[in-house]
Amino acid sequence: MSTAVVDGKVLGGGVLGVEVAEGLRAILREPTALFFTVLFPVGMFALFASLFGNRPGPAGIPYAATMVATYGTYGVVSVMLTNPGIRTAEDRTTGWLRVKKVSGAPVGATVAAKVISALPYAVLVVLALAAVSLAVVGPVLGIGTALRLTAVLLLGSLPFALLSLAIGFVASPNATAAILSAVLFPMVIASGLWFPPEMLPPFVDGIAPVLPTYQLAQVALGQLTGADVTGNGLVLLLMTAVAGALAGWAYRNLRV
Amino acid sequence: MDEVPDEVLRVAGVSHRYRHVDALVGVELDVTPGECLALLGPNGAGKTTLIGLATGLLAVQSGEVRVCGRDPRKAVTRRHLGVVQQSMGFPRTERVAELVRGAAVRAGRPASAAGPVLTEVGITDLARRRAGKLSGGQQQRVALAMALVGDPDLLLLDEPTVGLDITARRAFWQTIAARRDAGVGIVLTTHIVEEAAAVADRVVVLHGGRVVAADTPAGLSALLPDRTITARTGLDDAALRALPAVLSVQRDDGGDGNRVRVTSNAPETVLRTWLADDPALADLRVEGAGLEQALIALTGNDEKIGVTA
Ligand SMILES: Nc1ncnc2c1ncn2[C@@H]1O[C@H](COP(=O)(O)OP(=O)(O)OP(=O)(O)O)[C@@H](O)[C@H]1O
Ligand SMILES: [Mg+2]
Repeated sequence: MSTAVVDGKVLGGGVLGVEVAEGLRAILREPTALFFTVLFPVGMFALFASLFGNRPGPAGIPYAATMVATYGTYGVVSVMLTNPGIRTAEDRTTGWLRVKKVSGAPVGATVAAKVISALPYAVLVVLALAAVSLAVVGPVLGIGTALRLTAVLLLGSLPFALLSLAIGFVASPNATAAILSAVLFPMVIASGLWFPPEMLPPFVDGIAPVLPTYQLAQVALGQLTGADVTGNGLVLLLMTAVAGALAGWAYRNLRV
Repeated sequence: MDEVPDEVLRVAGVSHRYRHVDALVGVELDVTPGECLALLGPNGAGKTTLIGLATGLLAVQSGEVRVCGRDPRKAVTRRHLGVVQQSMGFPRTERVAELVRGAAVRAGRPASAAGPVLTEVGITDLARRRAGKLSGGQQQRVALAMALVGDPDLLLLDEPTVGLDITARRAFWQTIAARRDAGVGIVLTTHIVEEAAAVADRVVVLHGGRVVAADTPAGLSALLPDRTITARTGLDDAALRALPAVLSVQRDDGGDGNRVRVTSNAPETVLRTWLADDPALADLRVEGAGLEQALIALTGNDEKIGVTA
């Protein structure tokens, strides 16, 4: 029995490292899918920022700065909602997940690595958005605010990564990609992340608060405006718990 | 600490049922360290199901399965295993060396253990290739390297010879024999029966989910003591049947009708008279029954099920 515990410890660190390295290589060596996931939000942001970027937005901060929060939410969520799930579904259907399970290595490390290895690309999105914002309106956000915003976006992407995994555990790779995009785009639009909420039909106002993208965007904006976002944070935490329960259920029903 | 058990694999009274199929029925089987067991049987006999239970992929429904005395459903137990699965996949983006290093770390060994195993399996030249771009046989050898790199106590190899060319197969059997001699317990399934017979210490034949025979390869071949004599002959069937010690005569339908197959358990006796009586006798060949024929006899005809283990 004692060996099991020792073995478990030896496994924990090393295996997670191996799994994360594999995940990073997978994205680096076949970057097409993720390239568009990064390019799309950054491209749209550049367009909108150059059109309206200098106008004053919430709390008098220029739009090109506050939009780093909303487009950052969109960009980070689109990476974290699609990538872990699709890659898990692929590994499941090729039989690679079964090889790992039979190896006796903790499948939890494999799954966690899917999320961790996608994070650098989420950071990449935020960096690119920050660079565009800097070019359009200059350094409006302090470095501290920028870092806090990045941390919030990455932490806040957890419920999306969990939802992604939940789908990836049960659906085929193609179905996973389709389902996750079908979830992503309406959610992003209804949360006012693409266009300002004023441009959307009024009934959307009622829907937005039940969407995790809306809540994350509010928390992210709060980092810039100083608004009290405790309530939004709590709602997001609750949504994380729900997504976690869903992922846990799918994981227990995982057929490798 | 638990007592270290004698067997690396213990399968006792195991039955397994899928929705419509009894895949295994009351299977008993033990493997000790340093023993190589060939699990033979036709398609659908239940071989992969048995391996699936031993690797912990399938839950035991009835009976008991133990790997090194422990429950294979526990992840820690599986780290004693080296496994080649019948259907497995690699991620397209990984290189061979990365896969084998990863397998080493997952098994709790240093990544540097990969180098010697690549040499052992003879795939050092593939080390930098993408696994997804390899040929079937090359992938099979990568799978073997990943199974070996954890220095397992028990190797479970489900059709590890599929897709291997003759040279690769020869190397494979040498690797297996060396690991066995180093004390590793081995269970392998294959349809290349005669090659398995040359290396395996014991053969277990599954048919319809039941163990229909379990013996040494020689012991199993001895189930069929008959020899087959094939030749061209000038004699008719009646004359051939009249030869001493002849069991059966069968004339090949094709060709000129002069080719016959004669079975006997004393071919020397048959041939002494036959040579004397038949000046046209030509193209003479005497073949042993061998394990393959024994297997066909054991599994080819349902009425023969029941040959006891
Ligand atoms: N997941 C499954 N669901 C339903 N039936 C199954 C399943 N897996 C196997 N079977 C059935 O169980 C029986 C045993 O299958 P198994 O794969 O163990 O045979 P096998 O001896 O490995 O055959 P092969 O030589 O073709 O690999 C077969 O009749 C097969 O159709
Ligand atoms: Mg099989």
